[in-house]
Amino acid sequence: MSANAGRADRAGVRDGETAARAVELAYIAVVAIVLLLMMLFGLTMRAAQAQYLDVQPRLFYVLLTMHGAGMVGIAGVAGAVVMWHFVRRHVPVNTTVFLANLVLFLIGAVLILGSGFIGGFAGAWTFLYPLPAHSNGIWSANAAAAYMLGLLVIGVGFLLLHLDVLHGIWRTYGSLANGLGLKQAIGLKPEKTGPPPAVPAATMASIVNVLGIVIGAVVLILSLVNLYVPSFTMSALVAKNLIYFFGHVFINATIYMAVIAVYEILPLYAHHPWKTNRIFYLAWVASTVMVLIVYPHHLLMDFAMPPWALVVGQIISYLSGLPVLLVTAFGALTVVHRSGLRWDTPSGLCFLGVLGWAAGVIPAIADGTIVVNSVMHNTQWVPGHFHTYLLLGTVAMFLGYMTWTAKEVPHETIGTEPAAFWLYVGGGIIFVVAFLAAGSASVPRRYAVHLAPWLTYDRIGSLGALLVVLGVGIMVVQFLVRVPALARLPMTAVAQPLPEAAAE
Amino acid sequence: MLRLAAAAILWFGLWLPPLRSGLESDMALHMTVQIPLLAVVGILIAPEVRRFEPRWLAEADWLGIPGIVLVLFSTSCWMLPVALDSALGDWRMEVAKFVSLPLLVGMPLGLSWQRMPPLGRLFVIANIISKVGALGGLYLAAPIRLCAYYRLDQQAEAGSALLAVATAAIVGAFLASFFGWSWRRPFRDAWKGHRAVATATDASPSLPT
Repeated sequence: MSANAGRADRAGVRDGETAARAVELAYIAVVAIVLLLMMLFGLTMRAAQAQYLDVQPRLFYVLLTMHGAGMVGIAGVAGAVVMWHFVRRHVPVNTTVFLANLVLFLIGAVLILGSGFIGGFAGAWTFLYPLPAHSNGIWSANAAAAYMLGLLVIGVGFLLLHLDVLHGIWRTYGSLANGLGLKQAIGLKPEKTGPPPAVPAATMASIVNVLGIVIGAVVLILSLVNLYVPSFTMSALVAKNLIYFFGHVFINATIYMAVIAVYEILPLYAHHPWKTNRIFYLAWVASTVMVLIVYPHHLLMDFAMPPWALVVGQIISYLSGLPVLLVTAFGALTVVHRSGLRWDTPSGLCFLGVLGWAAGVIPAIADGTIVVNSVMHNTQWVPGHFHTYLLLGTVAMFLGYMTWTAKEVPHETIGTEPAAFWLYVGGGIIFVVAFLAAGSASVPRRYAVHLAPWLTYDRIGSLGALLVVLGVGIMVVQFLVRVPALARLPMTAVAQPLPEAAAE
Repeated sequence: MLRLAAAAILWFGLWLPPLRSGLESDMALHMTVQIPLLAVVGILIAPEVRRFEPRWLAEADWLGIPGIVLVLFSTSCWMLPVALDSALGDWRMEVAKFVSLPLLVGMPLGLSWQRMPPLGRLFVIANIISKVGALGGLYLAAPIRLCAYYRLDQQAEAGSALLAVATAAIVGAFLASFFGWSWRRPFRDAWKGHRAVATATDASPSLPT
């Protein structure tokens, strides 16, 4: 009887693991495909600005809105799958909730794409109040509502996912403070008793995202009411504060989730564990607070903001990303140094992710300075800095995780991997440098039509974007052709430590 | 018995004219003090009612979802300006408020909360915080009086009070989870002594994994 029960338990666990693996593969495939699609939207916009393509301004602004919303959303999903894969090794999480997030994301994505390509909504991904209700007849209230409902549906999915992760952390560690390593950070407990690196990262990302989503839901509901009952008005400045709190927190959390891939994958290659210490935990605690209060740096041009808030925005901008970035960059160098690490696409992408994040922070800090912001904020300097740490940071970390997962199944396309990697890296650098250079020459951002003197930057940027699309396209195809084989693999063989690391 | 006595004292106290008219004369007090306290009456009654709850009803309240849906709909009704107005202008609606808030909000909340999986409880809390915050924002944004019995400035005060409640709730929930304080404890304590009659559906269930 007990032997039967044991067999049934083992079968149940195996089924659970198989379901989890299937959902993870679905996540990676969705992220890969949507990422490529959004990159094509980006390439189309750069090619239109370069006058290689004839894109009508109306379509351009729809593409701009869809590219922005799509990239932010898919970066969140990419971060979520990385976080979930690694954090479930340490805390109990629910596969049904994980799947629900993906389903809700797809429903929300359909609503958002429909709002743009059918309804013509082009109010930018930030849906700044009261623009959605004042389209001059370009889009209807229904189109704007579909966009906002799409965001709400996606928000519900992420809320469920993050609450589930936080609940798992709470059950395992007793409190979120313990999950963050607060006691280790302030010296109340020895460093070695602290949680593994994936747990503080998941705790931090989930805390800030839950707060951001709850606030975002409030402003979305108010904006929806304003669409249909225009006499219900709110302070545009308050609305902008709420939107940027939500938006800033959400996009930042994508990096903090994706960085878990670096903490978990690089050590497998280096045969050297990622050492956590007091500084590491302190950095995560500090970043949790700072990510929540730094958002006013998005409002430095709003003269009606209280000056103290802008000063806080500038000062915290200098500090916000640095603690975690420094411990991650230093940790990555420590892990890699003299490790005899075998460089390949996954390890290279994870390392590049840290480099891209570090590089992107520099122009971001420049733009977070009030006097610089007043002349640079509406130039291409801004897309330059955020593409640096998103394209070469977050996306690189996700691609590192994706190619590491795919590595379990050898395939004849393996020979194209180095080419794909270098196309992506080279193209990515060209692409972001073209943005930054154009920004430093005061080329404005969000313009559908560019003047002749700006075209050189656009054309170089288009070339970079094309190379990125080619490189990522090869990686995505390499992953997708392996999905059936990956789904058939027994759980123990999938995405576990590499053979040499396992032997270690 | 102590809880029943406390519930009765609280209910009659809220019903008696000095407190009732005092709380209802101000929209913010009406929404943020009287209505929640009437729900508290139901929460206090719930453990006593629990012993007499038929098994089929407990089983029908799968994962506590039907009960919580009833709570969400009932609270939504009493958030509408027209409901507040009619309670002030019609004694029958006033009676309906004093009966429905304990019986359709507080009691189902007390009964269903234990049956909900933890994730469901967290989601309900997040949902209520968003709803109260949005409602506060709407009262502030409304260009006209939404209630015939309250002035525009009282309406704006109610909006600010609801925003304050939402802010306090989000800060409280964050601090509780951050430092590991359990918000289930008050409910768990309230249930102490009733475990013997608990059915299998009382166990905190989880979603299929």
